[in-house]
Amino acid sequence: MSENIVEVKNLVKTYENGQVKALNDISFNIKEGEFVSIIGPSGSGKSTLLHMLGALDIQDSGSIRVGNINLEKSKKLNEFRAEQIGFIFQLHNLIPNLSVVENVEIPMYTQKISSKDQRTKALSLLEDVGIKNKAKMKPNQLSGGERQRVAIARSLANDPSIVLADEPTGSLDSKTSNKILEKLTLLNKQKNVTIILVTHDMNVAKLADRVIEVLDGKILENSEDSLLDNKISV
Amino acid sequence: MSFLKLILKNPFRSKSRAILAIIGIGIGIATIVALGAMTEGMVSGVDDTLHAGGSDFTVAGNENNTDSGMSQQNMASFGATPLNQSWVGKILNVTGVNSAVGIYSTMVQPQGLNGYLVVIGLDPSQSKFAELTITNGTSYHKNTSEMIMGKLSAEQLNKTVGDNLTLKDKTYHIVGTYETGDSNQDQGVYTSLENAQNIDDAKGNVSMIYVKVDKGADVDQVTQRIDNLYSDNVTTISSVSDISSMQSVIDMLNSASWAISLLAIIIGGLGIINTMLMSVMERTREIGVLKAVGWSSKKILLMIMGESVVITVISAIVGTIMGVIGVELITAMGIMNGLTPIFTITTISEAFAVAIIVGLLGGLYPAIKATKLQPTEALRYE
Repeated sequence: MSENIVEVKNLVKTYENGQVKALNDISFNIKEGEFVSIIGPSGSGKSTLLHMLGALDIQDSGSIRVGNINLEKSKKLNEFRAEQIGFIFQLHNLIPNLSVVENVEIPMYTQKISSKDQRTKALSLLEDVGIKNKAKMKPNQLSGGERQRVAIARSLANDPSIVLADEPTGSLDSKTSNKILEKLTLLNKQKNVTIILVTHDMNVAKLADRVIEVLDGKILENSEDSLLDNKISV
Repeated sequence: MSFLKLILKNPFRSKSRAILAIIGIGIGIATIVALGAMTEGMVSGVDDTLHAGGSDFTVAGNENNTDSGMSQQNMASFGATPLNQSWVGKILNVTGVNSAVGIYSTMVQPQGLNGYLVVIGLDPSQSKFAELTITNGTSYHKNTSEMIMGKLSAEQLNKTVGDNLTLKDKTYHIVGTYETGDSNQDQGVYTSLENAQNIDDAKGNVSMIYVKVDKGADVDQVTQRIDNLYSDNVTTISSVSDISSMQSVIDMLNSASWAISLLAIIIGGLGIINTMLMSVMERTREIGVLKAVGWSSKKILLMIMGESVVITVISAIVGTIMGVIGVELITAMGIMNGLTPIFTITTISEAFAVAIIVGLLGGLYPAIKATKLQPTEALRYE
């Protein structure tokens, strides 16, 4: 039985001096190697939750433990992000003046890796996502799907234990979306990387081992079995 | 790609903005380089003249000296007060002095020249002292109206051997041309001591006495001896700083140079703050990503400040080139009146130091602003 890699207890996050409750007393666990979707409509708090799991934002109360680190107590959150977390964003957020391979190398600047080793690793990651032949191109020379594949390669640059994907297929057509989701599923199965994916699309969410549904800052459903039964293939 | 390469690459994402910033700061740097070169050129020119003929130091009348009968300072000898010719013998008798040569120099505006011509009076028997190389014709003689003309002044006045030159209603015959390599001397003329004295109605006076000490004698000890004996009447000049009027000009140029440096820091600093702030604003989302992938605030600070310094160091390179070309052009046009600018490592180092300070100060605020961006807000930035 896998251990919990994420433990969230009574998490509360408010904005505008407490007037808006983005997350309201949320608790859940995620096991190592699990593929979890967080689903909910716009403004439900799902992206806020993802950002907090990645230590990009601080909670008002409650606790988040990722691996052995209590995020509210840690003073080295940037090191935590560099070593444990890989982010994939909806709009890929690649740096426009850098080549594809240089974009993948960006997270490695936080590690003591030689430039030569950085390049070797980045090319290997690009090969994994099937885009090595475009390593020297600039992001604007790629299609939306190709850019998102570069973003996936970038998220894996430092061998994270968790990949946090915020609407990774939100700006893609269905065919390209399916290819990206296939890559994420393979990543989860082959490399045992825990994936937490935020989406508002139930078809995307159902690809995960488990779905966490968020509405108005609260978890509505956390039923592993029922969703697995209805899982659709991509 | 290394972090350093990223810093070198980033400033040129917006090429036009980077080029404008480089030109703006470069102009300030060019001014610093040009003024520095002119100051150095002036100091070196005066120093060459003070040590003409390999002399160790110069003696001039001090400000209280009245035995020359001339109270005004002589601008041709950098504001030194003239002194009576009899002082040449007195100085020669001081222990440790090997030779003492008196010259009288004055400035005259001849017909056909906008500027002034330096007339140097030197006894022809002592002409060896001036280390003149006669390039055409012969040397001048005593009790004649002969003169020899420096290479630069001959070019400026379009004169050659055999021509005449009228100065203050007296006509002189040019018997030779010379070259010394010292622009101050090469833009003048040499004639007998008496001829030069007569131009200013200063018979029996010399502007300065050039002194060489005995072989092995200590120059400082000899100057000290002269100061002890004759401090009421004469003053010894070993370097430019001993001439108060010259020193004030140099101080003024140095002050102007520093004032311009300060202006360059302020204007360049504001320019670079603006450039880097715009860059940070445009890259807000990117900075959010960098934070998300684990970059520390220190690394982001280093990146932004590094980019700022890259711009200013390139400005220093461009500005130095602009300064050198500008000064060379002005010199070629003859506006510098014989002054030969000198570009020293010190001047260029100062320009680069100013550029780096501008880069660090100008980049600091935008860099701090970048580090303070909240990752979640930065990632939402449109």
